Amino acid sequence: MAESVCRSLRDGALEGELAPDLTIKDSLSSPFGFNVFSHILVQLSSHIVAGKSQSRGMVIVSLSRSPSSYTGLLKMNGVDVESSKKWIHILDCYTDPLGWKDKTRKSGDIMDPSNQILSSYKTVKDVNKLFSVICDLGRGLVGENKSRFCVAIDSLSELLRHSSMQSVASLLSNLRSHDQISSIFGLLHSDLHEERALAAVEYTSSIVASVDPFHHSVDGQGSYIRNSSEPNLTKGKLNIRSKRRNGRVRVTCEEFKVGPSGISFAPVSAVDGAAVAGLIPKVQFNLQLSEKELVDRSRVVLPFEHQGNGKPIQIYDGRRSLEESNNETTPISGGKKEESGRGEIIYFRDSDDEMPDSDEDPDDDLDI
Amino acid sequence: MATTRTRVSSFSHNVSFLKSSQHPGLKNGPNGTTFISSGISDLDKILGGGFSLGSLVMIMEDAEAPHHMLLLRNFMSQGLLHRQPLLYASPSKDPRAFLGTLPSPGSSKDDTSHKPSHEKDLRIAWQYKKYFGEPQLNINTNNGGHHDYCNDLDLRKPLERHFFTSNNVDCVSIQNSPNLDALKDRCAEFLAQFSRNEGSISSAGRIAIQSFCSPQCKYSDMEWHMLSFIRSLKGMARSSNVVVVVTFPPSLLSPSCSKRLQHMADTLLSVRAIPDEDKELAKLLTGYQDMVGLLNVHKVARLNTQVPVILDATTFSIKLQKRRFLVFECLNQAPVDGSGGSSYGNSGVCSRSTKVGPLDF
Repeated sequence: MAESVCRSLRDGALEGELAPDLTIKDSLSSPFGFNVFSHILVQLSSHIVAGKSQSRGMVIVSLSRSPSSYTGLLKMNGVDVESSKKWIHILDCYTDPLGWKDKTRKSGDIMDPSNQILSSYKTVKDVNKLFSVICDLGRGLVGENKSRFCVAIDSLSELLRHSSMQSVASLLSNLRSHDQISSIFGLLHSDLHEERALAAVEYTSSIVASVDPFHHSVDGQGSYIRNSSEPNLTKGKLNIRSKRRNGRVRVTCEEFKVGPSGISFAPVSAVDGAAVAGLIPKVQFNLQLSEKELVDRSRVVLPFEHQGNGKPIQIYDGRRSLEESNNETTPISGGKKEESGRGEIIYFRDSDDEMPDSDEDPDDDLDI
Repeated sequence: MATTRTRVSSFSHNVSFLKSSQHPGLKNGPNGTTFISSGISDLDKILGGGFSLGSLVMIMEDAEAPHHMLLLRNFMSQGLLHRQPLLYASPSKDPRAFLGTLPSPGSSKDDTSHKPSHEKDLRIAWQYKKYFGEPQLNINTNNGGHHDYCNDLDLRKPLERHFFTSNNVDCVSIQNSPNLDALKDRCAEFLAQFSRNEGSISSAGRIAIQSFCSPQCKYSDMEWHMLSFIRSLKGMARSSNVVVVVTFPPSLLSPSCSKRLQHMADTLLSVRAIPDEDKELAKLLTGYQDMVGLLNVHKVARLNTQVPVILDATTFSIKLQKRRFLVFECLNQAPVDGSGGSSYGNSGVCSRSTKVGPLDF
C-alpha cells in the first residue's frame, strides 16, 4: 500500500534535518496521481487521528479541488473530521484564488465563521504570504511548542501556473526547513510543465513517486502504438525514488489498481531490469563465456588430436607410403596405443626389427 | 635484483613532497604553482597534490544525493584548520548554521598503523605495490593536529567553535538577492586581500559557493548572468592566491548553460548517487555495501602548462570509513561484457569493435 512512503511521511523529520517531501508525479498516459494523493492523505490522516504519527495536525492547501470534496473523502474513509480536538485545516485556494470575487463585489470577503476547518485564501500569486498563512494555520492547530504538523498541497501544478518556479521552489524549501513541519506532500502533473520546472521540484523533494502506465516502454514508437490502441484505465505502476540519508537512492516499484473503492497496491510481479549501465565505466574484457562460445569451445579439436582431415596422426618416416603404413598400423600398435582414444601416434623407428618395449623408451608410456 | 628496490609505483607523477616552509597549508606544485589541500587525502592524491591556487573548481551535484556537501565540508574545514580565510555563500537563509557541521580532525592513528605491517608480512611483487597505497605518506601526515598539509577529518566530530568565530569566516546568503552583483562585490573584496604579487605567498584564501543555481534563488533563470558571474570570478581568482569551489546541479540548467559552466572550470568533479540495495550493482562491484556514491573526475587543473593530466581512472567510489572519514577508492569491478556500451566516456577506445566474437582477445 505504498507502505514505505506512508511510513516516511508518518515518521517525519528528525531534529535539525529537513522534513521529508513527497512529490507525486503523473501524466496523461496514467492520470491516477490524485488517487495516489488521496490514498496517502487518508492514510496520514488516520495516523494523525490515532496519534501514531509525528505530526499532530494537517494543513491541506486545496487548489484544484474544493474543500468540501476533501471533507467528503475523509468522511467516506472513516476519518473523523469534526472531532473535538481540531487537527485539520483546509486552506481554500480553489474558490477564489486570485481574489476576483472581491473585486467584482464591493463588500469584504465573506467568510463562514461557523466552519472552523476552512479558511479562504485569495492571493495565490503571493507565495510568501501563502507560506506565512500555512505556518500560522499549522501553529494554530498544534500550538507553539515542539509539536509538528504536515502540509498537503493539492496541486503543485496549479501553484506553478500562478507563480514562478523560483517562488514555488523557495516555498517548498522554506516549508521543509521550518521547525514545526513534519512532512509535506504534493501532486504534480508532469506534462503541464517544462523540464526545468519538473527538475526543480524534484530537486527540492526527498521522495519522488511517479505514476506510470502499466506497460512503460522505453522507445517512443512503442508507447505511441500501445497508448492509442488500449490505454490501461485501471492499472498502472508506481515508481518511487527516495533519497536516503546516507546519500543512496532507494528505487522501488509497485503495481496499483484503481477501483470503485479506491486504489490498491501490489508488489510488482516482473522485475524490471534497472539500468545501472550508465553509472560505472564499462570494462572491455570478458572472462565469462556466452552459450554460443561454450558450444564453440567444445567443438574445437585440439591440434595434436587431428591432422586437419579427420584421420589419425601419422608421422611419415620416408620409407613407406602413407597408405601402406595406414594398413599396418592397427596390428602393430598394440594395447597401449589403443587406449589413447581418438588420437593415435604411430611411430616408426629406423630399426624396424626391434620391438618398442625393448628399448625401454620411457616416452612409450605417454598416453596422448 | 630489481625487485629489492622499494618502488612504490612504476608510473607516478614526480611531484615534490617538500613542504613549503612558509606555511603548512601550502605545498609547491609543478610549473610554479602552489597547492592547498582539499581536506580529503585521497582527492589530493588523485589530483596530484591538491587544488592549485588561482583555480576554479566546479563540482556537479546530483539532484538525488548530498555528496557535494561532504566535499564542501572537508574543503572548508581544512581551510579553517590552516587559518586560511574563508568566504562561504549558500542559498539557505542562515549559512552560518552550516559551519556547525564542519568536521574536525579525527584521531585516526589506528587505521594507518596496519598498512606498514602489510609490508612486513607479505613480499609483494613491485608492480602490485601501487595497489596497496603509499604508507609512508600517511605516516607523515599524522604527526599532530594542525600542522599537516591534509588532516583526516572526522565528519562526526564538529569543528571547535574558535576556528570559525574569528573574523576568518564570512558567510553570504544568496537566496534573496535578485541578482549576483552583491555576491560578486563580496568576492571581489575578499579576493583583493590575496592578490598575487612577485613576492612569496603569505597566505591563501578559500571561497566556497554551494548550490550555485539552486531553484530557490531569484536569479536562477538568468543563465547568461550566472555565466558572466562565474567568468569574472574565474578571472579575479586567477590573479590571486585563492581557490574557488562552486557546486551546481547541472540537471536544473539548460544543457548549453551546463556545458558552458563545465568548460569554465579548471578542475571539474561530479558526484553521483547510487541506488540502494541494488543486486546488479552489488554483483558488479566489490565493496558495494560501504559505498555511498560515485565521484567522477572530469578535468584536473593544469596552470602554467599545456600538458594535460591523464588519470589512470576517472571514476571512484565514495565511502565513509567507519562512518566518519571520507575516502575515495578505485572501483573494483567484475569484468563485464564490454559490448553494447561506451567505455570511459566515448573517447579513445583502442578497439572499436563492439561485438565480442570468439576470436577477439
